[in-house]
Amino acid sequence: MQNRKHQKRSYAVLQTIQWVLFAGLILLCYLFETSGSYHKPLVLIPVALCIASHTGEVPAMTVGAVCGLLLDLACGKLPGCNAIVLVIFCVIVSLLYRYLLKQKLLNMLFLITICVALQGGIDYVFYYAIWNDPDVELILKNITIPCGVMTIISGIVFYFMIKKIAESCQSHRIQKLEKMNLFSDMD
Amino acid sequence: MLFLIALLTGIMLYAVFVGGYTISAVGLFKTMTAPLQNLSNAISERVEYGLDLYRNAENYYQENRELRQEINKIHTQLADYEETKAELERLEAFIGIKEKHSDYSMTVPFDVIGYVTNDIYLSFMIDGGSEDGIGLYDTVVSDLGLVGVITELGEHVSTVTTILSPELSVAACTSSSREKGVLTGSVALASEGLCKLEYLEKDTDLKKEKIILTTGENGLFPGGYVIGYVKDVAMDDTGLTAYASIEPASDLKNLSMVVVITDFNGKAERTDAES
Repeated sequence: MQNRKHQKRSYAVLQTIQWVLFAGLILLCYLFETSGSYHKPLVLIPVALCIASHTGEVPAMTVGAVCGLLLDLACGKLPGCNAIVLVIFCVIVSLLYRYLLKQKLLNMLFLITICVALQGGIDYVFYYAIWNDPDVELILKNITIPCGVMTIISGIVFYFMIKKIAESCQSHRIQKLEKMNLFSDMD
Repeated sequence: MLFLIALLTGIMLYAVFVGGYTISAVGLFKTMTAPLQNLSNAISERVEYGLDLYRNAENYYQENRELRQEINKIHTQLADYEETKAELERLEAFIGIKEKHSDYSMTVPFDVIGYVTNDIYLSFMIDGGSEDGIGLYDTVVSDLGLVGVITELGEHVSTVTTILSPELSVAACTSSSREKGVLTGSVALASEGLCKLEYLEKDTDLKKEKIILTTGENGLFPGGYVIGYVKDVAMDDTGLTAYASIEPASDLKNLSMVVVITDFNGKAERTDAES
């Protein structure tokens, strides 16, 4: 009985470590977004989606909201504009990975591409195209598309990084639970 | 034996008589043994050094640590000094603005916290807000020229929209001929870091490198402040007016410090009249 308690505590510690690492990664990505005046990938998008693929719907939703709001702050957009998109997408990703998809790079890149296209499209239409400014297509050509491509490519790095973090914590947990035969308890 | 004693006494007496000069046989002997002496000296020094290291290792280690700490301290002081010097130079430039335009009420210089991500118009955030006496739509300048206006005001952080943005329209004129136009941004020029002086006469005599100043006519911006320099002049699409591409005097991509002009001659009256 005492051993079970100990195992549950270890599980909680691993979960805490995992979320601390995720939070640190999100913070680093925000700092990256707000440094320098050069064009850069919106790395908070792949980070949010990759984390969502390893968690349940509620944590995924929270991660989506946090990353979305940070993205709004960094990009100087209306707070909530990107957050709504990311919340919806993170929940969808979490559900897809729970019931349908396997942890494969191509799956994640496909989902990131859809999300980036949607986010970029909304941003372009509502912040630039709708105002009928001349030469507005230059923004699409010089910023939206290159940054979108960079974001998708950056997804490869974050996919492996987050997978490593999640699996490290997950594998420990499973091994220990298997030993203690606690699966039924945890579920 | 007596002979040997007599010989040695003789040598001794000879040495006394030559007074200070080496006897040739001794000299020869010394010359021959000099390399060996050098070698033995070197070995002895090496041994002494080794023994000294062994005996005083702890003292040397301690001394080394203290010296390293001192060097680090000096390096830090040097870095602080360089930083302070650079900041002082920047602040001196801002004092120059006040000397030139005594009617300006200016804030202390604010640091640029960061640029808005992927914004073609280079909007940025500064570490000052309403608590520092900044108001919405206050003019932001650098020591070199006009930068933009405050478009989002927080208590301690504000967002600045630069003159590259089409959201801003600034009444501007040339420094020499006082030819007037409206300075605004455009997508095409913003991607090159330029803005546009519109509504110039068709036969404008505006030339490259001419200085463009604010007129202060709309009451939003103080008059007579440098905006930038003419880079190119071309005809508008309509063919009715000309426009000039303006290179901002401030390096908008690499700003580190700006000041906010909170009040200037003509601001209140015009704002009252408009309201």
